[in-house]
Amino acid sequence: MWSRLAYTFRETGASLKRNITLTVAAVLTSAVSLFLVGGTFLVQRGFDNLLSKWAGGVQMIVYVSPTATPDQVANIKTALESSPTVVDTSKLEYLDFTKSLAEAKRLLAADPTTFKLLNEANLPTEFKVVPKARQLNVLVELANGFSEVPKVQKVVLARDQVEQISKLRDFVQTVTVGLSVLLLIGALILIWTTIRTAMFARRREIEVMKLVGATNWFIRIPFMLEGLIQGLIGALMSCGFLLFFNRLWTNGVVKLKGDNGFIALVVSDSFLNFVMLMVLLFGMLAGAVASGVAASRFLDV
Amino acid sequence: MIRLENVTKIYNSEVTALRDATFDVAKGEFVFLVGPSGSGKSTLLRMMNRQESPEKGAVWVAGRNINEMPDSKVPHLRRNIGNIFQDYKLLLNKTVHENVAFALEVIGRPKHVIRQQVPAVLDLVGLTGKQDRFPHQLSGGEQQRVSIARAFVNRPLILLADEPTGNLDPATGEGIMRLLDRINKTGTTVVMATHDQRIVNMMRKRVIQMDRGIIVRDQARGVYE
Repeated sequence: MWSRLAYTFRETGASLKRNITLTVAAVLTSAVSLFLVGGTFLVQRGFDNLLSKWAGGVQMIVYVSPTATPDQVANIKTALESSPTVVDTSKLEYLDFTKSLAEAKRLLAADPTTFKLLNEANLPTEFKVVPKARQLNVLVELANGFSEVPKVQKVVLARDQVEQISKLRDFVQTVTVGLSVLLLIGALILIWTTIRTAMFARRREIEVMKLVGATNWFIRIPFMLEGLIQGLIGALMSCGFLLFFNRLWTNGVVKLKGDNGFIALVVSDSFLNFVMLMVLLFGMLAGAVASGVAASRFLDV
Repeated sequence: MIRLENVTKIYNSEVTALRDATFDVAKGEFVFLVGPSGSGKSTLLRMMNRQESPEKGAVWVAGRNINEMPDSKVPHLRRNIGNIFQDYKLLLNKTVHENVAFALEVIGRPKHVIRQQVPAVLDLVGLTGKQDRFPHQLSGGEQQRVSIARAFVNRPLILLADEPTGNLDPATGEGIMRLLDRINKTGTTVVMATHDQRIVNMMRKRVIQMDRGIIVRDQARGVYE
């Protein structure tokens, strides 16, 4: 067992060294493609955060001043429910202070300083309004009217923000997914070629191994390990890129002045860690499987 | 030990390399396969360790029909068969000791077994003291001895030799034959393809003569003709 392990590691190391140029090419391509894959998830998550306020078809948010008494809040609710042809009352949701704070925590992941300043005296509560089908235009008129209701701080309509953000998200998603798929294919082809070249360089050795009775798995495993290491190094580099660009992005967004809501584009550290872990596992798995398949394909010497 | 029953091998559905070959090789026997190039000698050898499979007929080794053996069992079959080639097939970046140890290493033999068996077999083939040389530092005859050591180190039941003296001068070739004879006397079955007339006539072993894929003669204590 020990001598087998020693053999496997020795052969893998020698092969990586022998194929250094192809190995570097395969590693760099996997690094860039895995970075794009991870980046796609992060960007997606950022947009989802940004849009999460509007999830579930919410088209209008009525912010209620924190100084409103329960009676005043009830009045606003009654006013909303008085237009049952426009407002889908079954989906009308009120976020009290606790729920509003929870939402703010998610949206302000990148800005804990601001989040800490929030309290019952300054955080508006909110009504999330889902309109009935095809009542959007009427809802706009309704929104104008609500601005006048006592203790309504402001009324925000989805169509101002959501439509443009959604379009942007779809565009970014198409580009990043497309690019990462293309580059992933490139990386796999390079790993495949590296293994094929490695096997060609060692064809005499493989022939001897087969003739003296080495099993195919015994021959294949050093090559799979080689692919796994290539995938792992590529994935580690891509994690470095992800960390670096995410920090750059977070700093950039935090510096944006004003209450524009873009702070929600920043993802939490735990999500970033999760994405990096997935990228690592995927990189290793894809490298090992591609090499294993390539090795089996060329094992018939 | 080896039995071929009506074995026919056709390459690319047109070239018939073997036609209806049938013979038995008993345990401990020494058999020469003779005949001109392209007569099917190497194909016969390649049938015996399942590097090739016949279109028709069956090949039995140590009581098993090896053509019906699942692929996963083939490595275990080959651990009982040593192979020697005209071009030695040594690994040039490995020393004599490493070349021989390699054969044990890749079938997972433990280190202490390797440490014990490799020097013993190098002694048997007359290469004691040369274990740290690389193949390019050895003569042709010595390289063939390394290849024989590698084939025999696992004490196989059968040794298949394809023109082992083909690249060697007559005196060196004779030395290799004496070594193979010695190995044969330990009970190992040896099947050797050759067109070296002198050696066949010198050894006076069983001779199976091939011509265009057909066995034309099978003679005990035969000569080349």
